[in-house]
Amino acid sequence: MPRTLEITILSCENLRLNKRSIKKNTFVTVQSDASSELNITRVDSDNGSYPSWNEKFVMDMPLHARFITAEVKCKTITGVKNVGFARIPVSDFIGGYVPENQVHFLSYRLWDSKVNRNGVINVSVRVKVSQHVGSNSMSLPVAVKGVPVAGNGSSRVVTGIPAVWLNCHSNR
Amino acid sequence: MGGCFSDLRGGKEGVGIRIADINNDNGGGDNDAVRHFYMAQGFPKMFTPLQLSLSASNLLDRDIASKSDPMVVVYSKKKDGIVEELGRTEVILNCLNPQWIQKINVIFQFEIVQQLEFHVYDVDTQYHCIPTKALKLRDQDFLGMANCTLSEIVTKQSQRLTLKLQSKNGYNGSRNLGTLNVHAEETISSRNAVEMIFSCTTLDNKDIFSKTDPFIRISRIVESGGSVPICKTEVIDNNLNPTWKPLCLSSKQFGSKENPLVIECFDFNSNGNHVLVGKMQKSIVDLENLNKEKKGANFVIPSSNHSEEKVLKGKLFVDQYHEMEQFSFIDYISSGFELNFMVAVDFTASNGNPHQPDSLHYIDVSGRLNSYQKAIMEVGEVIQFYDSDRHFPAWGFGGKTYSGTISHCFNLNGNSGGSEVVGIEGIMDAYTSALHNVTLAGPTLFGPIINMAAKMASQSLSSFNCTKYHVLLIITDGVVTDLQETIEALVKASDLPLSILIVGVGNADFKSMEVLDADNGNKLESSNGRIATRDIVQFVPMREIQSGQISIVQALLEELPDQFLSFMRSKDIKPLPYK
Repeated sequence: MPRTLEITILSCENLRLNKRSIKKNTFVTVQSDASSELNITRVDSDNGSYPSWNEKFVMDMPLHARFITAEVKCKTITGVKNVGFARIPVSDFIGGYVPENQVHFLSYRLWDSKVNRNGVINVSVRVKVSQHVGSNSMSLPVAVKGVPVAGNGSSRVVTGIPAVWLNCHSNR
Repeated sequence: MGGCFSDLRGGKEGVGIRIADINNDNGGGDNDAVRHFYMAQGFPKMFTPLQLSLSASNLLDRDIASKSDPMVVVYSKKKDGIVEELGRTEVILNCLNPQWIQKINVIFQFEIVQQLEFHVYDVDTQYHCIPTKALKLRDQDFLGMANCTLSEIVTKQSQRLTLKLQSKNGYNGSRNLGTLNVHAEETISSRNAVEMIFSCTTLDNKDIFSKTDPFIRISRIVESGGSVPICKTEVIDNNLNPTWKPLCLSSKQFGSKENPLVIECFDFNSNGNHVLVGKMQKSIVDLENLNKEKKGANFVIPSSNHSEEKVLKGKLFVDQYHEMEQFSFIDYISSGFELNFMVAVDFTASNGNPHQPDSLHYIDVSGRLNSYQKAIMEVGEVIQFYDSDRHFPAWGFGGKTYSGTISHCFNLNGNSGGSEVVGIEGIMDAYTSALHNVTLAGPTLFGPIINMAAKMASQSLSSFNCTKYHVLLIITDGVVTDLQETIEALVKASDLPLSILIVGVGNADFKSMEVLDADNGNKLESSNGRIATRDIVQFVPMREIQSGQISIVQALLEELPDQFLSFMRSKDIKPLPYK
């Protein structure tokens, strides 16, 4: 039976960009490895390296989904920069000790593009078993919110994780 | 002004407040998940003041021409035998069923067994005009006494206990000396809290190349005329019109709502020399009125002429004001929540042959307890009061069991079915019996034990009312072999109603244990980057306890109520309604 995931992007802690504390304009993209659906938070322009969004997204959660990727980005004068990412295993909130229908408060280490530790992201997750049957997976919409990822006025969005990150992370 | 503040996040974190962000721009109204997340951060640590209300029934009538004139004296009996008088009630004239008005104040301490003793006297007529404090008790008629522990009172749903009065020698014969009713409740003021959101407009700019980085500090004015800081907000970078995160202040912090508070706004400087932007003096009532009237209050700043203050353009607003009641540990316990005690004992070979006197498991024929027994007894005798059925799971790990295989989680009672034993005595008996039937082996693994405890705790979480909170005591002599697996297990368990107490016995190097106890502020992190939701581990080496004055129970258990409350708040679990 298909599942629906309610994920709330709460906040981040101690974010840095090029070894300096981030001053403003951070946002988060959220995507499942089993879906092309991309969710983007609004831009936090006030809280510097300790941003807070408290933004909830509802995502389809196919049975074959393995993890959720949250990428923290920063909008700068020169464009959107990647701050760090976290991979949230589905097994952390499905099949564990805590019942699935309860809210899970989870915190994860963020890793930058060089696979250095870069702060923490806090999220909450709740799984709902969907009653919808026969969804058309061929027409999954691309949900874009907030600002364009490219930051140059483009309407395109980034999906997935750069291969170098996956390779580095898998070799830890 | 200026000076040093907390160094957390470079000194920019709020201090003395519970940060609760109840707003979001998601368009869906209040996001409960957000509130619960921040509520898990916890309130400032507070002791629990209680008031004892006393009444009695069917007291002995010692007077001839009239009824007795009873008074109660309440004592606290320390573990070292010292008896301290806590207070006395007033004298109620001519009454065998008195309801005393005077309350007796006592501080509840979870981590110790607090023995109370109540002596009831018939005050002689000639002393009725003398203040009760000045009465000489030996000149009064003794009506009876009773004793109990404070835990026995607070664990009752009604927080009321009825005690039979006895004579001093404990022998009443056929006489009925009556009963004493003791009711304990927290002082109302200790429960109240206020949640507020502050914002400012048009603050003075104190920086040259950027804007002010403001934060607010609130101080309580003391009788001597000075002020004592009670909290400060987080720092908001580069902003002259800041809105701070919601903060929650308890009445313990500000006292009466009418008490004047000094509210200061500073420009943060990393060198600690913060610059005063402006200040004002307001009470909680004043702040409430600002919110109701949607008005701002102007900051002032001392001028060069010390007798004058300059009124600034900058204003303080109270965007939100909400009074609330904080549920305390006692609120939960008295409504029916329980602490379920579990024990795991290290049976690895490094403890030494149990038959040898130098073994950590040596059972002394004289009855002197070994370190394992001491830890079980001292923790158990406190925590048993919080479990109604007193059925405690008890495991061993690292031993070769009855089946001939090494087990890292075996039932201490030797049963293949259940791990529970009855009472602390049951744990002690099972432990002693296991020493005769289990061969010490190894290695030292915590993962399986923690996973077993977590499995039990998760069953409580799945129940309709999560009224059971589990406490696992691990007693070990050695360095854990499966450190990473233990960390993984702890991170997974951090979202469960579970706390873990680790006692290190013997003289091994316990540095790896200190890693597990995240008191240094670094939360545990699993291999996949997941960070523990909260700190659930407390580690204490027995040798440090034995060399000092603090008991092992105090060292282990003093954080437990906070861990309990942190969990309950994060799940928005409230005390059960009173029936």
